[in-house]
Amino acid sequence: MKKLREIKLAKRADGFCIQFDAMASQCEVIIETSDPALAKQLGEQVSTEVWRIEDKYSRYTSDSLCSQINQSQGKPIAIDDETFALLNFADTCYQLSDGVFDITSGVLRKVWCFDCSDNIPTALAIAKVMENVGWHKIKYDNRQMILPINMEIDFGGIGKEYAVDRAIVLINSVTEQPVLVNLGGDLATNSSRKNGQPWQVGVEHPGFVDKKTIVVSLFKGALATSGDAKRFLEKNGQRYSHILNAKTGWPIEHAPRSMTVSAPQCIQAGILATLAQMQGENAEQFLVEQGIKHWAIR
Amino acid sequence: MQLINESKSKKTVNKKNLKAALTLATTALLGSVQVSATPTSVAAEEDTWSFDSAFLYYSEADRVSAAEAVFNAKKTYSDDSILNLKLTVDALTGASANGAVAQPDVQTFTRPSGKGDYEIKAGETPLDDTFHDTRVQLNAQWTQALAPNVTGSVGGHLSKEYDYLSLGINGNIAYDFNKKNSTISFGLSHFQDTFTPEGGLPKPFASMPLAYHDSDDESGHDATRMGSDDDKTTSDIMVGFTQVINRRMVTQFNYSYSVVDGYLTDPFKVLSLLNNQGLAQDYLYENRPDKRTKQSVFAQTKYHFDETILDVSYRYMWDDWEIKSHTVDTRFYIPLGNGSYLEPHLRFYQQGAAQFYQPFLMEDDATPEFASADYRIGEMTAYTVGLKYGMKLADGNDLSFRLEYYRQDPKSAGHKAPGALADMEIYQSIDAIIAQVSYSF
Repeated sequence: MKKLREIKLAKRADGFCIQFDAMASQCEVIIETSDPALAKQLGEQVSTEVWRIEDKYSRYTSDSLCSQINQSQGKPIAIDDETFALLNFADTCYQLSDGVFDITSGVLRKVWCFDCSDNIPTALAIAKVMENVGWHKIKYDNRQMILPINMEIDFGGIGKEYAVDRAIVLINSVTEQPVLVNLGGDLATNSSRKNGQPWQVGVEHPGFVDKKTIVVSLFKGALATSGDAKRFLEKNGQRYSHILNAKTGWPIEHAPRSMTVSAPQCIQAGILATLAQMQGENAEQFLVEQGIKHWAIR
Repeated sequence: MQLINESKSKKTVNKKNLKAALTLATTALLGSVQVSATPTSVAAEEDTWSFDSAFLYYSEADRVSAAEAVFNAKKTYSDDSILNLKLTVDALTGASANGAVAQPDVQTFTRPSGKGDYEIKAGETPLDDTFHDTRVQLNAQWTQALAPNVTGSVGGHLSKEYDYLSLGINGNIAYDFNKKNSTISFGLSHFQDTFTPEGGLPKPFASMPLAYHDSDDESGHDATRMGSDDDKTTSDIMVGFTQVINRRMVTQFNYSYSVVDGYLTDPFKVLSLLNNQGLAQDYLYENRPDKRTKQSVFAQTKYHFDETILDVSYRYMWDDWEIKSHTVDTRFYIPLGNGSYLEPHLRFYQQGAAQFYQPFLMEDDATPEFASADYRIGEMTAYTVGLKYGMKLADGNDLSFRLEYYRQDPKSAGHKAPGALADMEIYQSIDAIIAQVSYSF
């Protein structure tokens, strides 16, 4: 199916808002400027960059680099500098989490289907899939990578946040006007607003019907949220969140249903939110000890 | 390629430096772009206070000891405005050089009040042991954004001692540009001090009078005085420039111009008046010009290695009293993991003498217009060697300890020591220990 790609430009009291769809999310770029040409140019550049990253790293797009890697059948596949840098980042996250965060863990979806049912897989089924999980089994350098047969990688845990940061880098090379980039709740700003006031950001918690949106004041930096209240399994009163421990193949127990974290860059905020979720009941304490500002919903 | 090495080295990363590891990884990922090392500023629902407290003890061998307690409260408002309040209390006790030189005989000096006297043994540097004072200082500073990239700050200062009152105001404006990689700042400050020394203000070059006792006549003392109080004003202009060179390095340059106007003499200091044999015939109160114009340039660089931070600064100060000084100050921050760190400190100071500095007066010479034997404006070198250890407590608060050794070596500025002084130590070194405990919460 050919994706419909267009951007919408709307005038606001203090500037412009550009909207587009990417990465299965509603995306917006808010810019404080009186110059419509600049707003349009930024909107086009940012959306082009976000779509580029989506096309390259989405596992849902059959001709993406990610899909090519996943279909490489154990043969070496050429990678570029950008991919090498992303793999290095994923490697750091794997090391920092002692293997709990792992971009090869996506194959666990074959047995875990978080459809709010009581459909808990058997230990045997999980153990079988776990044979194809393990970042340490991957070999890569700055030119190529070798993904063992039957294994898959998935940039879902870092791709959107990376796109936010890339958008900010792009914006900084074009303008010093205040801009906010929001890709479905993962967002970042390049500076505070012209009136010196913070950006008021509504943090949505996907799936919480009756939860009021938390409004966060952000002067600069980024926010990212991990968690989705709609994705869980429940059996015998035990709730299984969709955050999986890549080391065991089982969901993390007692994790907050949603965790929002602020950090200088979106990709840091995103990984911190995920790493915190992986601490289960100690999620908040983990961030408190690191002195990291966060908002959790249990 | 270097990134491969970097990714290998991360295998040893532990959770303790999670933030640092992520910042490094993000920098590598986002390419050559400047990655902000400053934390995100997010406004919480409420405004936050933070507190710092410190206790410092300074002790010179056989001389002055000082104890100082500092309490600092800082409130950051949701719009990033900052209110800073600081209270400092000092207590000084001990003995301070009165300016006279050591002699082969016992010397008797009148106390500054005129009431009573003290004796100094043969061969010893005359120290006035009545030196004790308590000082209370209050500083308040308000900082806020005035416009995008423009930060303004205003402050007030009050300092009160038994015989001294100092009031000050200051204002500062800073402009960030070049994507906040460059900052220019401009500051002004003004201080108004009033000095009411014990025993009044001595007349320039008046002979130290004999001490009087309870029943005695005070007129001898009064004849050497010209009033009970005087004041001075200090006006400073400061221009600064800060430049972020890259994500590891930041430099700063300051220039300051300062004019001090008013009573600048130390009413407790005398000069020995010597005869040809170098023997003291009299002690005359010192006299300094009533104006001093100081200028200084300052440069500082901080370099962030992978883990450690090196901080080096240099200051050159010169004034129209012809004092010139060089200060080199170096600190090296070494994180030990788990929030604790070590910070060695090295400081070197070298000063040339004021044009009117002289260690003593000669009976046969004409009295100069200005003269002071205060070692603090004479030629000297000094250095400080210290070590600080800081740690993060379980509750997230910071505790640190600092221990330093300070040595000051006054030097002859070329004044010939006549006769009896040849065997005396005129330029006595000072050794001091500084100990400090700080707690932030």
